[in-house]
Amino acid sequence: MKTYWVAYQIALQETLQRRSTLIMDRLGGFAVVVSLYSFWIALIGNKATFLGYTRAEMLTYVLALNILRSFVFTGRGWQLVGEISTGKISSYLVRPLSYQGYALALDLAQKTVHVAAAFFEVGLLALLVRGGLFLPSDPATWILFGVAVLLSSLLFFFLEFMVSSLAFWTSESGGPLFCFELFLQFAAGAFFPLDVLPLALRRALEATPFPYMVYFPVRIFLEKVSPVEALRILGMEALWLAAVYAAAMTVWRRGVRSYAAEGG
Amino acid sequence: MAAAIETKGLTKDYRSPLKEPGLWGGVKSLFDRQYKDTRAVDGVSFQIEEGELVGFLGANGAGKTTTLKMLSGLLTPTAGSATALGHVPWKRESDFQRSISLVMGQRSQLWWEIPAYETFKLNQAIYGLSEADFREHLDELVELLDLGEHLSVPVKKLSLGQRMRAELAAALLHRPRLLLLDEPTIGLDVIMQKKVREFVKVYNKRYGATIMLTSHNMTDVVELCKRVIVIEKGRLLYDGPLDRLVERYADHKILRARFTTPVDPADLKILGAVIKYEDSTITLEVPRAQMAASAAALLRSYPVADLNVEEVAIDDIVRRLFTHG
Repeated sequence: MKTYWVAYQIALQETLQRRSTLIMDRLGGFAVVVSLYSFWIALIGNKATFLGYTRAEMLTYVLALNILRSFVFTGRGWQLVGEISTGKISSYLVRPLSYQGYALALDLAQKTVHVAAAFFEVGLLALLVRGGLFLPSDPATWILFGVAVLLSSLLFFFLEFMVSSLAFWTSESGGPLFCFELFLQFAAGAFFPLDVLPLALRRALEATPFPYMVYFPVRIFLEKVSPVEALRILGMEALWLAAVYAAAMTVWRRGVRSYAAEGG
Repeated sequence: MAAAIETKGLTKDYRSPLKEPGLWGGVKSLFDRQYKDTRAVDGVSFQIEEGELVGFLGANGAGKTTTLKMLSGLLTPTAGSATALGHVPWKRESDFQRSISLVMGQRSQLWWEIPAYETFKLNQAIYGLSEADFREHLDELVELLDLGEHLSVPVKKLSLGQRMRAELAAALLHRPRLLLLDEPTIGLDVIMQKKVREFVKVYNKRYGATIMLTSHNMTDVVELCKRVIVIEKGRLLYDGPLDRLVERYADHKILRARFTTPVDPADLKILGAVIKYEDSTITLEVPRAQMAASAAALLRSYPVADLNVEEVAIDDIVRRLFTHG
């Protein structure tokens, strides 16, 4: 356990060391939030609700996106792809270390910094729009949302880990990872609530793990689902997490075996 | 003494997909991929005793790194067996990993943006070193490698030589009993090379660690290793004392003579192969058996001012081994 704690601290230091990268990242994310916000405000116009979302709810959705992006979608997939293709992964494989645990610790460090930045940005925006946010009054909602987000971030971690591990077989696994992440953000509801989509498409997406990463957690937060429904969502999310975890570990183990067989 | 490393018929084939040129070739290979097997290591058997420092020589692509990767557990062999410190390396047992270290001169385990000291702290946790052991080991390494103030500087700001020494310290913090060094002096200047060499020697002596070292730099090998293993195209070519390598593969010596007046080098051909004639000094390559006769003939018939006989330099021998196989 100590190993991962030390790894977390070092990664935290390193993330803070790379200030310019961090600032660029944040500016990029912030620009997305602002443009989504303007877009939705324009669409809602003078209507009381749009696609079942009030103005306050839509604004909350967009701001929550900023925090969720920072907590869920900050992964180290690219680093893993790089470490596999350059062979740096070897230096971990010869040490008595669980790479997943190590990667998770590094991931958590990155999330810590990004979430802190996201709260700051959201606070700033909330001040600008002077309230107008939907904040649930029931503490149970906050707890359910918290659990959902925790599971989401693990779900994303192992999904990304699985796709990045494809680098063990192909020299171009940056491509799959890029496509995957783009599709994932769309399917998760990180660009817009999935209610925007035609019902059939939405139903299809709901049968995948992706909406559990953003769309469902935010719906829980906005109290768009009953507590019972919320619990069902958490249950499904936990099942997806278990399945993705098992798949990711299988891909990783096979990857390491093939790396050992074919050389790096 | 127990064997630290033992390999029997160790063999490794690499499988690489055959790629046809062009877009169509790429599409085709998606569905019907053809592979080509390349034998990198071919039935290599040797044994290394605990505490030995062995040089592992071979041309580029001879299979040195592949062998080290198998011995460290990174690669599984296609055939044959190996044990290192009593373990099968590619099982990657934690006990085994705690007792070895693999250092590749061109790869880094250090964190780039932050001081090397932080990587050391991480390794302390990974290898489960107590604070007291960590301090003790670190102080010794800092002193031996002359690291001092470099530990608090971000790694990216270190020179190559400083970084390589920090790399060694990171790899040896847990005091491995088996050390596999792949080109530890690559890219370093002469002074740094010497420092690294001295360190390797001390580490071997002080802790009785078993060390296997590959290097292109013959000085490393001559100064460090009594025993060498030579492989060529994956096959074991020679395994034994460095001195005997000279006797076995150098069937000739170098005869050098300076004359008081110029002579015609063409006349000297019967004494041996003329390598160089310059400033009235001739350098001849003479078969061992013929040396005494050639030297006598030279002294008898030419105005010799000075004459000496030398062994062929080791790197010449090794170069010869690699080119002739």
